[in-house]
Amino acid sequence: MHQISKLGYYFVIVLIILSINFFLPRVMPGDALSYLTDPGADIPLRMTEEKREILLAYYGLDKPLSEQYINYMVGIIRGDLGWSIYYSAPVLEVILGRLKWTLLLVGTSTAIYITLGILLGAASAWARGRKKDVCLLVSILSISSFPSFFLGILMVIFFGIKLDIFPIGGAQTAFATYSSPLEEIFDILHHLILPAATLVISHIGGTYLLMRNSMLGVLGDDYIMTARAKGLSERYILHRHALANALLPIVTMTAMTVGFLVTGTIFVETVFAYPGIGNLLYNSVSYHDYPLLQGIFLFITIAIVGANLIADMIYVRLDPRVEDV
Amino acid sequence: MKKIVLILAVLLCSMAFSASALAENDEVAETSSGKTVRMAGGTPGGADWGYPAPFTFYPRGPGYSRMSLLFDTLTWKDANGVIPALADGWTVSDDGKTWTFYLDGNARWHDGELFTADDVKFTIEYMQDHEGEFTWFESINYIDNVEVIDDYTVVMDLNAPMASFLVDIAGNVPILPEHIWNDVSDPLTFKDAEAVIGTGPLKLVEYDSATSSYQYEANYDYYDGKLLVDEFISMEVADTAAALQTGEIDEVSFWGSEITAVQGFEGNPDFEIISGPSFWVLQVIFNCEKYPNDDVEFRQAIAHGIDRDMIVSQVLNDGGIPANTGIMHPDSIWYNPDCTVYEHNTDTANDILDSLGFMDTDGNGIRNYPAGAQRSGDITFDLYTTSKFSREAELIQADLADIGIEIVVTSSAWGPIDTRLKEGNFDVVISGHGGISNPQIMRIPSWPASTYHSDDYDSIFAAQEVEMNLNTRKELVNQLQEMVADDLPVYTLYHPYMWCVYDPEVLDTWFYTRDGIGIGIPLELNKLIFLARYGDANEDGKINMQDVTKIERMILELDEATDMADANQNYKINMQDVTHIELIILGRAPIRTE
Repeated sequence: MHQISKLGYYFVIVLIILSINFFLPRVMPGDALSYLTDPGADIPLRMTEEKREILLAYYGLDKPLSEQYINYMVGIIRGDLGWSIYYSAPVLEVILGRLKWTLLLVGTSTAIYITLGILLGAASAWARGRKKDVCLLVSILSISSFPSFFLGILMVIFFGIKLDIFPIGGAQTAFATYSSPLEEIFDILHHLILPAATLVISHIGGTYLLMRNSMLGVLGDDYIMTARAKGLSERYILHRHALANALLPIVTMTAMTVGFLVTGTIFVETVFAYPGIGNLLYNSVSYHDYPLLQGIFLFITIAIVGANLIADMIYVRLDPRVEDV
Repeated sequence: MKKIVLILAVLLCSMAFSASALAENDEVAETSSGKTVRMAGGTPGGADWGYPAPFTFYPRGPGYSRMSLLFDTLTWKDANGVIPALADGWTVSDDGKTWTFYLDGNARWHDGELFTADDVKFTIEYMQDHEGEFTWFESINYIDNVEVIDDYTVVMDLNAPMASFLVDIAGNVPILPEHIWNDVSDPLTFKDAEAVIGTGPLKLVEYDSATSSYQYEANYDYYDGKLLVDEFISMEVADTAAALQTGEIDEVSFWGSEITAVQGFEGNPDFEIISGPSFWVLQVIFNCEKYPNDDVEFRQAIAHGIDRDMIVSQVLNDGGIPANTGIMHPDSIWYNPDCTVYEHNTDTANDILDSLGFMDTDGNGIRNYPAGAQRSGDITFDLYTTSKFSREAELIQADLADIGIEIVVTSSAWGPIDTRLKEGNFDVVISGHGGISNPQIMRIPSWPASTYHSDDYDSIFAAQEVEMNLNTRKELVNQLQEMVADDLPVYTLYHPYMWCVYDPEVLDTWFYTRDGIGIGIPLELNKLIFLARYGDANEDGKINMQDVTKIERMILELDEATDMADANQNYKINMQDVTHIELIILGRAPIRTE
């Protein structure tokens, strides 16, 4: 019963967010066609009112807002996210083309920084106050405090240009011919390392600190004392008793950062010319491309709500006490 | 620690696994030993210009030029002006309303089908059926009727004479293959592989929007010259100058203040630099309907108060020039060098403002409106601009403070400013536009605002639109420029330069097109750079004086012009005087027996 009501609760949340996704972009000053006359462009397109009306009608933007809203909702149910005005392509196609790269970059770097953060945070807490703890704390905090774009530029200059051991941008060598699939995988990884490393370094600080503090709290608890009194080995106490309990806040934090990770890579995408959702979102906002904006927001909504749902479920397993909440 | 290493190893394996999922294309393409040219498609996040089919490219210069590599137009432009393309030659009736085009009999579509006059007729009618759905191809409704005379002759009747016909329609509209497009009902969504079949010198191999990359291959059967390259790639790079240095790409384009990056290549023997006009202007748009900017003398005072040289050096790092006050670019054939220039002179500006009665009556350093005027108190008004031009706005704010006018700068996205201009809800806006090599841009000088009203101006504009004599039309366009410079609906600020830096070992034919590609695109990506056609007339592999024909010597003014060479009798000797019979003699056009 609880599971069903929880799903219903998520359904209502999704419905509200979808409606906001529809109305918010339309509140912005300007409209979906104003980018066409932007003065930054090399050739100005001087549109007459008649032309504007033909175009608005073509994209269905002349219909009343209520009708556009219903079309949008029906479209989502049918899996049709509409047609991107700027990219002149189906929204789903535009998003999926970039999503795979975002997932590769964000997925690998998130997995690495969370794992590393947990392990280093736990190790630091375990060695609290000793030389190892201080060294970790100082070094991780100082490298993580670089802004990601600055770190990225340093990476490009040092590893890409000075040492010339990594490509300075892109996700893959453009139109290269590979002698084997393995060579192509290597090429993709070769391009992935610098941007992924930049994301790992700039995000690891948060996980590390949270894990260290959480672990410090757990280590002070009575049951750890009891375990020690029982004569269990330190390693056993760390793994079986302390780690699982200290992980609870990390699960929450991870679920909360999922949405940010899809869009928060924009600086890294720009510095490394890496294809991804971040730049796509930026462009769709500046072009007022309503269908595309709605589509990207839909994906982010699904990612965040899904992550929270999963976090809820993991929580129950990690901490049986929350089951009845 | 061992464990960390182990976990990292597992993670790396999973990375490799997910990367392999992306490496979907396992086929090993045939390895070509040919020549590949790579260029940067733009800045990171802005190097994708859409699928290069005629109705799906993003409506910007780089989008059009990527499409134009695949599709030919009837005419085209090189470094000197209009040249034949799919049409070998053409004639125009005395009233300027009937154009006859003699088409190239050797052109073929990329799928092997023959190109004929039916394709031209189909294209014009197809474009008219879909008028307005795609913003790029305008003025197509000037054409009243298209008649096919034979396979390689087509006649177009216009509703009215159109002076810019050879450039704005014949040199802009890509000719579509009828056998593919006659079944296409919605061109904006047509993105099949067939949608990129044209007659152009390159064929599309692959396009990926996500990675902003285009791959083209040579069309070795091209009808109009030998291909110099086997493959052309446009791609996104993180840092264009660095990518050129490391050899990742072979050519980069720079603009305005990026002159500092260009200077890094100066004196480097591995690279060559050419510069060209951007055909772009930044301007102060005045609201000529709103007090106090409704007074031309007030606008002139502001013009004297603005230090344009300072803006060029501070903002553009001297990568541009103060603009022609008459809008048209100095490197265009339409430039009027005699427009009024407003020297930066605080005293002159102050004298004008004094004489208009705008005095600083309360002694706070800001002038006041005269008693009984439409506005009262300090002369303070808003200046709207996009964040891109906020430096320029700040410099102007400081300049005008010196003549006692207070400016409040508000920068925002383009959308809200566009709305203000259209509604006339502004005092002053800083905005810019390109295309100032084409007189059609003079239709509304303060566009998108239209607060400047002059019947004289409108009638001169209308007259030049239908004037078929080039010199008379130039005279009319000169008058329009003088009126803008005197009446100041806009005060032009600067024209940035452009630079093309390239590795000549890879390709050394880069050039800037006379008055821009198509309707005036100031880019160096002209399809002619891929062709060995130009210059080597006798195809002996060398360009020398033996390639210059008698008529070309006359065009270059090396030889005395004779009436006999002026084939179309328009009192000018130029490429339009190359007749169809001469093209037949040169083996460039078919012999017809009718």
